[in-house]
Order: sequence, then structure tokens, then C-alpha cells
Amino acid sequence: MKNDYIKKKTILLVDDEPELLKMVASILEEEGFEKVFTADTAEHTRALVKEIPPDLAILDVMLPDEDGFSLMEELKKEADFPVIFLTARGEDEDKLAGLGLGADDYIVKPFLPKELIFRMIAILRRTYKKETPYVNLKNCQIDFERAEVLNDEKHLRLTAKEYALLYTLYRNAGRIVTIDALCEAVWGQNPFGYENSLMAHIRRIRQKIEKDPSNPESLITIKGLGYKLMTKEEERDEKRS
Amino acid sequence: MKSVPKLIARFIGILLLSVILLAIINIALLGLILFKQFPDSSNSDSPYQYAQTVADNLTKTGDSFSLDVNDSTTLKKENIWAVLIDENSKQVIWHTENLPNNVPNSYTLSDISSLTSGYIEGYPTYTGSSNDGLVVLGYPKKSYWKHTTPTWKYKFIANLPQIFMIALSINVILILFIYLWFTGKLTRSVNPIVQSIKDLPKSKRVKLNEKGALSEIAVNINQTSRILQDQEKELKKKEVARADWIAGISHDIRTPLSMVLGYTSQLENSQTLSTENKQKTKVILRQSEKIRNLVDDLNLSSKLEYSMQPLNTTQVNMVALVRQVVVDFMNNDIEDKYAIEWLTEESLSSCMVYADKDLLKRAITNLIQNSINHNPEGCTIYVTVQQQSEQCVIQVEDNGVGITDAQLEKLNHSPHYMISRDSGLEQRHGLGLLIVKQIVESHNGKMTLGHSHYGGLSVCINLP
Repeated sequence: MKNDYIKKKTILLVDDEPELLKMVASILEEEGFEKVFTADTAEHTRALVKEIPPDLAILDVMLPDEDGFSLMEELKKEADFPVIFLTARGEDEDKLAGLGLGADDYIVKPFLPKELIFRMIAILRRTYKKETPYVNLKNCQIDFERAEVLNDEKHLRLTAKEYALLYTLYRNAGRIVTIDALCEAVWGQNPFGYENSLMAHIRRIRQKIEKDPSNPESLITIKGLGYKLMTKEEERDEKRS
Repeated sequence: MKSVPKLIARFIGILLLSVILLAIINIALLGLILFKQFPDSSNSDSPYQYAQTVADNLTKTGDSFSLDVNDSTTLKKENIWAVLIDENSKQVIWHTENLPNNVPNSYTLSDISSLTSGYIEGYPTYTGSSNDGLVVLGYPKKSYWKHTTPTWKYKFIANLPQIFMIALSINVILILFIYLWFTGKLTRSVNPIVQSIKDLPKSKRVKLNEKGALSEIAVNINQTSRILQDQEKELKKKEVARADWIAGISHDIRTPLSMVLGYTSQLENSQTLSTENKQKTKVILRQSEKIRNLVDDLNLSSKLEYSMQPLNTTQVNMVALVRQVVVDFMNNDIEDKYAIEWLTEESLSSCMVYADKDLLKRAITNLIQNSINHNPEGCTIYVTVQQQSEQCVIQVEDNGVGITDAQLEKLNHSPHYMISRDSGLEQRHGLGLLIVKQIVESHNGKMTLGHSHYGGLSVCINLP
């Protein structure tokens, strides 16, 4: 399974509410995460981080002995791992403060488990992407490390723009990515009037990854809105639900 | 500030009128008094006249003179002395008994000339001529004032009317200057008062200088301002307390609600649960999500209401933003009975507004969520973004149940859920929409509710 390596990552949960810790841990375990550790104070967190360095930490902002922002700063100095804030403090200032300090995401309680899992996986994939050599699509495989498509034993190179598009789509596999987000990923901030270029690039990608580019099975158009990349795993998920 | 110049013009009018009237009345009054008091020669009371009468009534018998008894008593009573100066010798040849000692007995021609127009030793003197000489009447000291050198150039007298007019105009100008100077000072002290009265309803802080002519008014205005400010502060304090209270509740409810959402989500996916129980879990989950939205909305709404929500405005492309919201709904697996149709023209790639991105995202999310919430049987939601001249128009419509005209009326005119006393409608149809209205209005935009030609509700947002 594609996400297997991600499920083996060490996850650290910090929250002062033991009930909540238990619940999030159970959600993560159900999702297949094998190494989940919990802490309910800053002190405990520090000790735990020294003992078992996590691959990702989910922090509460308000801890009994310290504020989560400063704890994150301290932890980030020692080891570089992504941090997601999961907090009841939903003010915009808090959000900006958290993200400004270098948090990778900021989730306000109450949250849907689905949402937390999705964001966690997205961050883990982004952070530990080197371990994702192959992505299996219906008709081919994408090798992101080499920027190649393996189609019927043929190696097709991806251009820089095609790579950026495919990678953005892959990071959100199974979800629609808007035209605007795709343009931004390729042409940077405030891209306007690139819709036609985008369509041209999509067409070229399809020629590389689809069996029949005019009947796409992996890279699907959502008319007027955006595109969606279906990997083999996503297809399986879809069938299951 | 038009009222002050108007007032001054009016005052000047009144002033000019009163100056002219005063001048006329004064001249008339002066004339009347002078006319009464002037020692006119035709008047029998006049000392000139009386001196002549005495001279006429002086009779010579032999070498001695005798005065009429009447005149004699009058002279005595009035304390007037009289002498007769001989025509030739210039010696006093007759005098009354009350003649003071310092009056000389002989006179030169120049003496006579000066006593005719003036005084002898301080006694105002008047002359009358008789056959034997000059009769001189000496009135008591300080009884008359004689103008001894009444000489003017003829030209001066001839130009008297002009001179009078010039003097009058100089006076008028002088008075005007004095008035303007004074009113200038007055308006300077009135202006701040007028300004502060204008400021009072705008609930600005007013602090007037409590000195000068209008100090009492200034004190009163300051007091009023203070009272208003205090009341406003008090009110603001209450509002802040209420908003804080709501913020506190919505904060405290977050963690418990997270647990509810977390465990129900898990249960929903549980393999061991019976279909019936799964259905129940679904209901719990859906309702918990509603509570979550409500808590978020309540907090934001109360902050917007009390302007405690700072707007982080940036350039926002509404096409991208609305598109992202629609996609988010699709990505979060909305149920199959709901469909979202994107009807924006494909050629429209951007529609820029200067706005708070997060708040607008919230508003659009609420609109779509609202259509979903009110159409449990499912519906299609139509989303359109348009550029109309300088405005960005976002339209969210559905083909669901829609709302009645009465509800429409109420929602369009309901001031706020916190003021509204009718709890029913707002709860079923509204925090979601009212918060959109608040967000749109905080961006100086406009939200219009109506019936969609697709059959359901239509919400149109205009953003400048």
C-alpha cells in the first residue's frame, strides 16, 4: 500500500485533556498508525521527545505548565519535525501566530477525524517525500524522484511544469484541486489568464499517463472547477465506501 | 457652520439701525434742550433783555436816580447788583446797595468793552443803555456762562452739515470695527461650542475650555459629553462582556464537541455496528456538526456585531475563492443527494476585491451549507461569480424548498439575531445567513435574498 511507510511514522500527541488524547490516539490507530505516543504536559513532552524523536507532533496550544507556541519553538530547535496545532483557540490572531512560528498546520477544535487524518498525511507526505518513489495509477506509474512516467515499459520524462502539476494533484490525490490552486503551483502567486496554458499542460500529461487521453481515467476533469488525480489506492477507497 | 455668519450679519443690521436712530434722537434731544436753555435775546428772562429793562426803568430826578420798586426787589431777591456808568466821565454815578466792594468805580473804554462780552471780577455782566449812560447788571458768580470769544471761520459754519455727516460716518465705522472685533472674539468662543454640539451626537469626546464669556455653556456641554462617554463606555463594557462570554462558551464547548465528533466518526465506520445503529450514529454526527457550525457562527457573529473582529484585508480573487469553497464541499464528500453546479463563465478567471479572505470564505461556505441544511431531501446548488462593472457579484441558488415571502421579508429586514425576539425563524433559517449578511456588510457590500428561478432560495452578494 502506498501509505504504508507513512503509517510507520512516529506520531506524538500533546493535549492536557486525557480523554481527548485517548480519542485521537484511537482514531490514529484505527487509521493504521502504529507508533502513537501521548503526553499531557510540556515537561512530559520534552522528556518523551528526547527518548523517542517523533516524525510529527500534534500540539495543543494551552498546556497546564507552558504555552504550546513556546514549546514548539523549543522542540523545533532540537529536532526538525512537522508540527500541527490542534486547539480550541480559534481566533485568527492565534492561527497567524501559530503558523507564523513555523507550525505546519493549525486545526481548530472541534474537528472531524477525517480532516485531521487528511492533513496529517498531507504533511507527512510532503515532509518525507523521498520515500515515495512510485505512485501507481490505473495505466502507469509515476516516479516522482526521477520525474518520469512508466507507461508500458516506456520511460516518459516529465517537464518541470508537468511535474509540478502532477505532484500537486498527487498530494491531494482523490480530491479536487481547483484551477487556481494548480496555476498557483506552477506559475506562482496571483496567476491570471493561464487557464489555457493549464489545459494544454493537462492534455500533455494525459498523453503520458492515460491509455486514451480523450477518455481520462486517472486525471479527471471537474468542469469549471478543477482536476482530480485518482491513484489506485484512491480508487480502492472509493469502491469500499 | 452657516449659522454663525448669518447671525453676525443680522447683528450688524440691527446695530447700524440703532446707531442711526440714536444719532437722530440725540440730535433732536440736544436741539430741544438748547432751544429751551439758550439765552435768547427775545426771551424776557434773558439777562440781556433784563439789563435793558432795568436801564429803561431807571429814572433821573435831579441829580439822583431811582429804580422802579418792582425791579429793585427783583434785583435784591436774585442777588443781582447794578451800576450806572456815566456817559462821559466813565464814573459810576449810581449803584444798588448790594454792590460788592471789589467792583471798580471808574472804567476805561476797554474795561467796558470786556465787561459787555464778559465778566467783572467773576460776575457775569449784562448791559443796557439809558440816556445818562450804561446800566451794568452783575449776576451772581457762576449763575451764567458767557462765551467770550465766539469766533469761527465762515467756511466751517457753511460746511457744518458735511462735517457732521463725516463725523457720523466715522462714528459708524468705529462702532462697526468695535463690534466686529468683539463678535470676532465672541464667535471664536462660540465656534468651539457649536462644533462640540455637533460632535456630541457622533459620540466624540468633547473637552471645551471652561473660560470666557460662555463658560457656563461650555461647562454644561463638557458635562453632557462626559455623561455620554461614560454611558457609552458602560455600554461597550457590557457588550464586550457579552462577546467575551460567548467567546468563552464557544471555547469551552470545543473540546467536548471534538470528542463527540471523533467517537461518532469512528462508530460510523465501525464494522460491527448494525445498520440501524449506524444510521443513528450518522444522525448524531450530522447534528454534532451542526452544533460545531453554530458555535463558530455564534462567536464570529458576536464579534462582528461588536466590531471586535479585525478585518485582515488583502487582494482576493473571488473566482478562486468561491471555486475553492465549492471544491472543498465536493472533497468533503457531500451526500449524493446534493449537487453543486458551477455556472461561472469560463472566461472569467479573476474578479478582484479587497477583502478578508477567511471571512468571505466563511460567508460563501455558510451560503452553500445553508442550502444543504434546509433541504434535507436534497437539492442542486447553483453557484455563479460575475463581474459587474466595479462590483463582484456572487450568486448562490438552489432548487429546494425556498422560503416564503414572509420569511424573506423578515430575513431582509431583521436587524440582528440578538435583538430579534422571535426565536423560531432565526433558529431555523438563520444564523448562517445573518452572519453572511454581517460579513458582507462589514465589507461594505450588499446581500440580497430572493426566490431563485430554479425554485428555491437565491442569495446574491455584491462586493465593491
